[in-house]
Amino acid sequence: MRKFCTVIAALSVVLAAPACAPSTKSSGDKVTLTVLSWRPEDTAGYGKIFASFEKSHPKVKVNFKPIKNTEYLTVLPTELKKSQGGPDVVQLKPYGPIQSLISAGNLAPLDGQVDVSKWDPTVLQAAKGKQDGKLYGVPYAMQTLQVLYNKKIFAEQGLQPPTTWAEFTAACDKLKKAGITPLSTSGLQPWVLAIDHQIFGATRYGGDDFAKAAVAGTKNFTDPDYTASLDVTAKLKPYYPDKVTAVDYPDAQTLFTSGKAAMYPGGSYEVGPFTKSNPDLQIGFFDAPPAPGAKVDHPLTSGFVDGSYGVNAHSEHKADAIELAKWMATPEFGQLYASTLKQISAVPGTTPGDPLLAQAYQNFKAHGATYMMVVDFGYGNPLGRDQEGLALQKMLGGTSPADAGKLVQKGVAAWFKPSGG
Amino acid sequence: MVQAQRRLTTTEPTGSGGGATRRRGRRLPLLLTFLLPALLLYTVFIVYPLVSALEYSFYDWSGTKQNGFAGLSNFHDLFTKYPLSEQLWRALAHNTVFFVGTMLIQTTAGLLFAVLLHRSRRGKRFLQTAYILPHLVSPIVAGYLWSMMLNPQFGAVNAALRGVGLGALAQPWRGDPHLALPVAILVNAWQWVGFPMLLFAAALAGIPEEFHEAARVDGASAWQSFRRVTFPLLTPVLGIVTVLTFIGNFNVLDLIYALQGSQGNPAFSTDVLGLLFYRTAFQNPDANAIGQSSALAVCMFVLIFGVSIAATRFFRRMEARLK
Repeated sequence: MRKFCTVIAALSVVLAAPACAPSTKSSGDKVTLTVLSWRPEDTAGYGKIFASFEKSHPKVKVNFKPIKNTEYLTVLPTELKKSQGGPDVVQLKPYGPIQSLISAGNLAPLDGQVDVSKWDPTVLQAAKGKQDGKLYGVPYAMQTLQVLYNKKIFAEQGLQPPTTWAEFTAACDKLKKAGITPLSTSGLQPWVLAIDHQIFGATRYGGDDFAKAAVAGTKNFTDPDYTASLDVTAKLKPYYPDKVTAVDYPDAQTLFTSGKAAMYPGGSYEVGPFTKSNPDLQIGFFDAPPAPGAKVDHPLTSGFVDGSYGVNAHSEHKADAIELAKWMATPEFGQLYASTLKQISAVPGTTPGDPLLAQAYQNFKAHGATYMMVVDFGYGNPLGRDQEGLALQKMLGGTSPADAGKLVQKGVAAWFKPSGG
Repeated sequence: MVQAQRRLTTTEPTGSGGGATRRRGRRLPLLLTFLLPALLLYTVFIVYPLVSALEYSFYDWSGTKQNGFAGLSNFHDLFTKYPLSEQLWRALAHNTVFFVGTMLIQTTAGLLFAVLLHRSRRGKRFLQTAYILPHLVSPIVAGYLWSMMLNPQFGAVNAALRGVGLGALAQPWRGDPHLALPVAILVNAWQWVGFPMLLFAAALAGIPEEFHEAARVDGASAWQSFRRVTFPLLTPVLGIVTVLTFIGNFNVLDLIYALQGSQGNPAFSTDVLGLLFYRTAFQNPDANAIGQSSALAVCMFVLIFGVSIAATRFFRRMEARLK
């Protein structure tokens, strides 16, 4: 019996002791840098990209460690809190969500270490601390927002990408008559509705001019131009899928990829997954024409930075990690990234490998606008994007544009202080 | 909770003489040895997180960096700062509706099934298993399954309604703010109805047949016999079911998350405390996310613990009146 008790006691000690194996990061004189990312699907691509870095830095080995995207933001703060054995370079969300990591001192400032002299300041804003204005990451990709359309359906219906709002609604009517859902979107997800609003409503509220005025505090979201832009989006309800408020994001995607819907207002990031789920799908892009009463007389391609790569402040190989971040700001990395992963690189002077994305990027450079609710109003609770989506959901249920505007203003005012002037 | 359950179910008094106490004293080291592993796990995974959440809720945070002592300011934020102040009460109201709806539908159906199965001679085993089966599926799976079946475009429910000519009844089940919460209650009841059914079935089997015979001899109808004899004797089980349903419903997260996402779509019409906690902790752009979410967790714990204790006491008194 006593022996049995000893065994039990010993077992309990073993069970309670955490498995703490020391992390060995350097083998021989080679340094292994761990790169944490939320893109498991890009593992092979990053393998190719980092091989190029390893070639020019023979003493460094890059270990790409992806974590499921739904868990990434939960895991990241814990990983960065480790005093040792944490990752060296980490993928970061843009704008607001990195601020708490910065204020916790988890990230190393990169000013003066990484050459970003040729970069557009609005791109760098995505990886800067709101409080201290320092740079904490190297942006890797841009996303643009526009209307994706099914080329085959358009050809069958004798339609051309519309250049005026009248042409656009006429095309929608024609598609609807033919039994095809004109615009596929998800009314269940607030963030999808906010993207719809940016695509269809940006010209109505006045694009960056309005965004600047709202940041300065000279205008707010009860402004008639802004509420009218919400109305532009909500009025498209007849062209959205039946019972759109119950349509979830994956359903909206499936409607488009299965050829049941002709158009899909969305981001450039959709092209890859769409082509993967239906390789025969021929996708085209067009910018939404200026909405009735638009403050801007030409279409706008809205864009935002997808994210950046930052250096862990407690990295055990900080010098090498910064070396990698430096490399990620070079056209060599940018072009490799753009071609291998079929994305729009944030590095200036690169061109996307995919012709469609190249066109989107060209449009953005020619007549771009910032995705206001993420870029300028994504720094507090509630996120501008979510509050706008909520207001749009209410409008689909019958709330007036003026009340919806008040709701957006109430949410943003909960944390946003205008810069003045 | 386990203790409460034991109190409710134990009908025999547990007497212990002096000899037993002495014997127990000598066996203490042995008992401790057996208790130690469970106690260690309980401390590490239950007690420590509870205490640390309480501690966290009194501090101000910048991401994962603990700043100064903040007193009750996190609690103050929770009740006064938009959007938390609005979301908190809305979520609490939804939890309450969810609980009341579940009690009305799930518990009533569970009792009905238990009584019917108790009387039935054939297919009892099969039906019992059939009703309990959804219980074995993870709520996340059940949630996704139903979200697909209720899909307005591809879903089986609307397709079936249209197929039998009831197309007019086809609804945006998950997308209508007035329907979304009732639908969640029904899906939850579909999954959990087997649980009260099993408990009621066990209690029914424990009621001596003589009671019913006596009632019949006195000329009681079947309904009277149920209302006056069976139902009062089910009070202890009803107490357990109520308290467990309350705890489960006020902690619900996974099913609603799978059905309606972390924001309780559409337009927060299915937002519950569990989702609000998840968002405040993990999707909160505020640097003080840990402080705010810990304060919310403490409030939830106090509410659920307090009500559970009160309800247990109440049912114990009811039970005592039976004797």
